Amino acid sequence: MSAPEVIFDDVSKFYGEILGVNRVTLRIPPGITSMVGPNGSGKTTLMNLMTGLIQPDRGSINVRGLSPLDPEKLMRITGYATQYDAAPRGTTGFQFVSAGLELYGHSRAEAARLAWKALEIVGMTEAARRKVAAYSKGMRQRIRLAHAIAHEPEVLVLDEPLNGLDPLVRAETIVLFRRFANEGRHVILSSHVLQEVDVISDQVILIANGMIAAEGEIRTVREEIHERPSQFQVRCRDASQVASLLFAQDHVAEVRLHEDRKGMLVLTRNRKVLAEALSRLAQDGHVIESIIPADEDVDALYEYLIGGRQ
Amino acid sequence: MAVYRRGYQRYQGAYTSHFTRLLAFPRFSWRRLMSQRLVDIVIIVSLFWPVACMLFVYLCHHTELWQGLGGGLTRILSVNGQFFHVFMTVQSVFAVLLAALAGPGLIAPDLANNALPLYFSRPISRLDYVLARILVLVGMISFVTWIPGLFVFGMQAGMAGWGWLVSNWRLGAAVFAGFAVWSLLLSLVALASSAYVRWRIIAGAVVLGFFFVLAGAAQMIKQVMGADWALALNPGEAMSRIWKVMLGVELDAGPGPWACALALSVTALILCWILERKLRAVEVVS
Repeated sequence: MSAPEVIFDDVSKFYGEILGVNRVTLRIPPGITSMVGPNGSGKTTLMNLMTGLIQPDRGSINVRGLSPLDPEKLMRITGYATQYDAAPRGTTGFQFVSAGLELYGHSRAEAARLAWKALEIVGMTEAARRKVAAYSKGMRQRIRLAHAIAHEPEVLVLDEPLNGLDPLVRAETIVLFRRFANEGRHVILSSHVLQEVDVISDQVILIANGMIAAEGEIRTVREEIHERPSQFQVRCRDASQVASLLFAQDHVAEVRLHEDRKGMLVLTRNRKVLAEALSRLAQDGHVIESIIPADEDVDALYEYLIGGRQ
Repeated sequence: MAVYRRGYQRYQGAYTSHFTRLLAFPRFSWRRLMSQRLVDIVIIVSLFWPVACMLFVYLCHHTELWQGLGGGLTRILSVNGQFFHVFMTVQSVFAVLLAALAGPGLIAPDLANNALPLYFSRPISRLDYVLARILVLVGMISFVTWIPGLFVFGMQAGMAGWGWLVSNWRLGAAVFAGFAVWSLLLSLVALASSAYVRWRIIAGAVVLGFFFVLAGAAQMIKQVMGADWALALNPGEAMSRIWKVMLGVELDAGPGPWACALALSVTALILCWILERKLRAVEVVS
């Protein structure tokens, strides 16, 4: 059986005359998917569409077999954490989470049980009886996360979930996302911290001006960008010699020696041929210590696909 | 793409009913509202008049206490439709005050905090959300309207006996239904102003202003154009005229009950339209 996916089929959404997203076609598999794009690019619109908060003007959406037109069912399997502090004034962290569960249809006792479980997962049990208004930014972020995960959703949609978290909690939160992903759930998040996206994501969706610039695993996306030579950091003992041998090859666009003369940055138009060339050099007795892709990260993709357009 | 094994289980337990889910809203809101001193003061003060009315009912059934004051006074002491109309008119003012105090805090903060996406990403609709908020207000207003009203009616029925109850049950039904309609209208006014004006104090003033301004406008149109129907534009007057008919009290010159009902229905529709426009999960840019 194929994995349940979140599918956008030719989806467009306009707010009056303003474009939200235009003709988006996506298949998002389970795992951690990061949506990256500048402000106003359409990330939140995509999130709102997949959680059924807004309906598309065109196209259809399918969330693990459910349509957003059936919100009663869809919302039971989705958990959404917006980037806003939406807790009603005067409520404690526990009340905020358990009231949310009651709205899902859990009995008070069951809501209390699930709320404590979620609060424990995000490390907020000690502060649970305090009012949300008195929480720090990081604590509010965690309570929103608890609110979103408390009903054990299959699709977790999180708007900037790592903002305001200290490094330790951030690491714990990423572990939690990974656990969810490993269980076969969807964790779909938006983030502006590209390094973080790089580390945690199974796949990325790059979005600009309401249109998808690229989607898929970061490496696959990078391979698709033919007009930009791929960059590799190569460390070796006889760097000058290796550099001259590589530069003689047609696929190599540029070679930049490192200052310490023990490595170089190689820009190639054909990754496969470069790999073969380096393999041959190694067989000829050159000591190649490491080959590391230098632009297979979201930063580079963002720069190539979105940064260049602005 | 990584291959994931499904390692979790969907919730298999039972869910509560749709209505039970909605009660989660009022439970928290009532607790918060009852902790506001002004709300408590209005509720307490609003109970003075029902207590006075109960005393009146008691005195009506103990005429021996009045015999020294002459027969004329005894004759006007009767619990009838007019009595309940006066009771409802006084209590309706407290209901307006309560709606102005409690209503603005129900939607405005949700809009200001962008909390609507949070609610609407749960299995509740916009209609559910409005119904839940109406429940909060109707529940609060009930404390000062039909609940004391039925206490007064019950006391009168208890003292007057079965025969009075059989021939006057309609008064009790009118107190309940009349206040129910008034509570609903007040709730819609308070919620619409809360949705329209995000600053709570201003929203409260808008609730009071709604009744004062319409009352003034209705009176002005009546004076300038000499049109009695204009009184139906004053929600308080329109409601009062409907109550009179329901209680069997003679109606003076002016619009009839159906015209008043029509005016109130149109008002309610406009308020619903405002709520429909303002309560969106996502801000719609025009």
